[in-house]
Amino acid sequence: MNFNFEEFQKSNFCFKELDNIRKKSFQNFEARGFPTKKQEHWKYTDLKNIVNNNFKNLQIFNDSKNLQYNNELLIKNYEHNKIILLNGNFIESDFNFEDEKKIKIKSLKSTFENKKDFDKIKDYFNDDQNSMISLNHAFATDGIILDIDDNYLFNKPLIVYNFFDKNAESKIINNKFFISIGEASNLCLVDFYRCEDNIKYFNNTIHNYTIKKNAILKKFSINDSLNNSYNYNSVKVKSYANSVFEVFLLSLGPNLIKNEIHCSLLENFSSCFINGIMLLNGIQHHELKTNVNHEYENCKSSQIIKSVLLDESKGTYQGKIYVDKSAQKTNGYQLSKALVLSDNSAFNSKPELEIYADDVKCSHGSTSGNIDENSIFYLMSRGLTRNLANKMIVKGFLDEVIETITDPTIKKFISEIFNERINKINL
Amino acid sequence: MLNIDNLSASIEGKKILKNFDLKIKPGEVHAIMGPNGSGKSTLANVLSGRKGYEIQGKVSYEGNDLLEIPIEERAQKGIFLAFQYPIEIPGVNTNNFLKTSLNAIRKYRGLKELDSLDFLKLVKEKSKSLKIDEKILSRQLNVGFSGGEKKKNEILQMTILEPKLTILDETDSGLDIDALRIVSDGVNALRDKKRSFLIITHYQRLLDYIKPDFVHVLVNGNIIKTGSGDLAQQLEKDGYEGVSAQK
Repeated sequence: MNFNFEEFQKSNFCFKELDNIRKKSFQNFEARGFPTKKQEHWKYTDLKNIVNNNFKNLQIFNDSKNLQYNNELLIKNYEHNKIILLNGNFIESDFNFEDEKKIKIKSLKSTFENKKDFDKIKDYFNDDQNSMISLNHAFATDGIILDIDDNYLFNKPLIVYNFFDKNAESKIINNKFFISIGEASNLCLVDFYRCEDNIKYFNNTIHNYTIKKNAILKKFSINDSLNNSYNYNSVKVKSYANSVFEVFLLSLGPNLIKNEIHCSLLENFSSCFINGIMLLNGIQHHELKTNVNHEYENCKSSQIIKSVLLDESKGTYQGKIYVDKSAQKTNGYQLSKALVLSDNSAFNSKPELEIYADDVKCSHGSTSGNIDENSIFYLMSRGLTRNLANKMIVKGFLDEVIETITDPTIKKFISEIFNERINKINL
Repeated sequence: MLNIDNLSASIEGKKILKNFDLKIKPGEVHAIMGPNGSGKSTLANVLSGRKGYEIQGKVSYEGNDLLEIPIEERAQKGIFLAFQYPIEIPGVNTNNFLKTSLNAIRKYRGLKELDSLDFLKLVKEKSKSLKIDEKILSRQLNVGFSGGEKKKNEILQMTILEPKLTILDETDSGLDIDALRIVSDGVNALRDKKRSFLIITHYQRLLDYIKPDFVHVLVNGNIIKTGSGDLAQQLEKDGYEGVSAQK
């Protein structure tokens, strides 16, 4: 892999400090390259191998901003606010349903052009053992910075459209999202992905969220359309007192995705709920890694992940719960269940509990197996064909997680997307 | 309707049913009683098509070789098995399951499939007539149901699917008197000149509510005695051993 850093550096120069960060990050990436399975956290997703096998000549996306996106791809008949990105670049936003004075949105690009603005986020550019983060620091040129004032309750969800078009073909796109929810505010955020013409690209995104006191962030990540993309998403969350962070992950679409969610519960009574489903077929390879850090007492976390693997697909869930010695009265729960429905598919699960406090309630469970024959027999004895019985059981298995979504309009929205997909799948 | 001729069934090399014969005509209610391990459930399983048995002999249903008919087609052709232990299927809505089942059967019979509205109307009517709280239908299939609720759900399914041949596999075990009445009311309401029932039970109690035309005593894989409804009372009095000895 040869990325032309010098050319990128010249064409994107803003000021010396940023330039130095990029240079250092690029050197870090160059020294380590794409992660391989030799690294513990990448044991189940050998990214170097995957990139080498799937991209002949992967290049950094460094085109000038193109504002023309296909608005046919916008979701219709569903009232929502919008942020639109094309090939990782911020294009526009629309907060028509909201009090726009309470919402500040900027592009990362504009922040890079203003040293003062940059100073507010530069702590997020620290070096990381993870070379994908270094790669992102070195090459990210755009993304969004969204700040919600205190005491603001959104009327409608916000859909962040991540569009990719043919200019992204064989490119790696690096971008960053910064989202901060003010005290006692709340937001429903949907990350939605669409690409045109089945192009092959790599998207490497870092999300940094701050959820202040009494605030609620519900985030939904919808990767539904089958496509030829390769993705790495790292979400880092800081949760303050009494805040709630809820994630729902619908992992259906791309060839490859590794989602990482790191949530630090920093103050009293904050909570983090991560639920998700994977329904994979063909040669899809999806991984979810969650890392919940209980740094303070009385915090609560839970993860419920269900996966269904068909054909030659691979799924992985690595879930870690860390409980600091000061984090007494922690309540942690984790459950991973997988149905592995073909001989050539596989599911890896690695639960990890690291507990230093002595008054905690933490439990985890992990199962993988096939569909229960007794259940199939029961349904068939009521006149259903084996295919229909299988489908009903698999759908029910995954539906249980969709049922946990607490926002009713989004639950309906996600249910519809999921039903459409499962109806097409040959079980 | 059902002709079982010289049926033997083994599981894992162990012979459970041995040269078993039984004829059920349209409109008849047959009860099979027998001690634990006599082959009662095996009979129900073989008739409904459960895998895992080695089968010899002949079973014809409405003139067709039943053993050659796939499981779902047996249901479509009108055979219904009320399970001894109904299976819990998480995430599957009971209503939705039942509608899919009914429509699969209606489609096979060349009837128009019911839309959600007509289906709900039918379910309301049937559950009301059986005095079953229709709320169980909005829950996940059998998940967290009490023993009684599971059995009532089986009877409601039977009532809605209107099978020609119903096999009740120890539906009465574990039921209180009220639930027992719901089960028997369900069967009695469906009983007519064309429908047949095969009632497998341990106890005579259920047969106080559903009067069978024939009672068979199954011991060790074979029917050792056949009689009218009175035989059930005799069994209650003398036990299986007593009746076997009189043979």
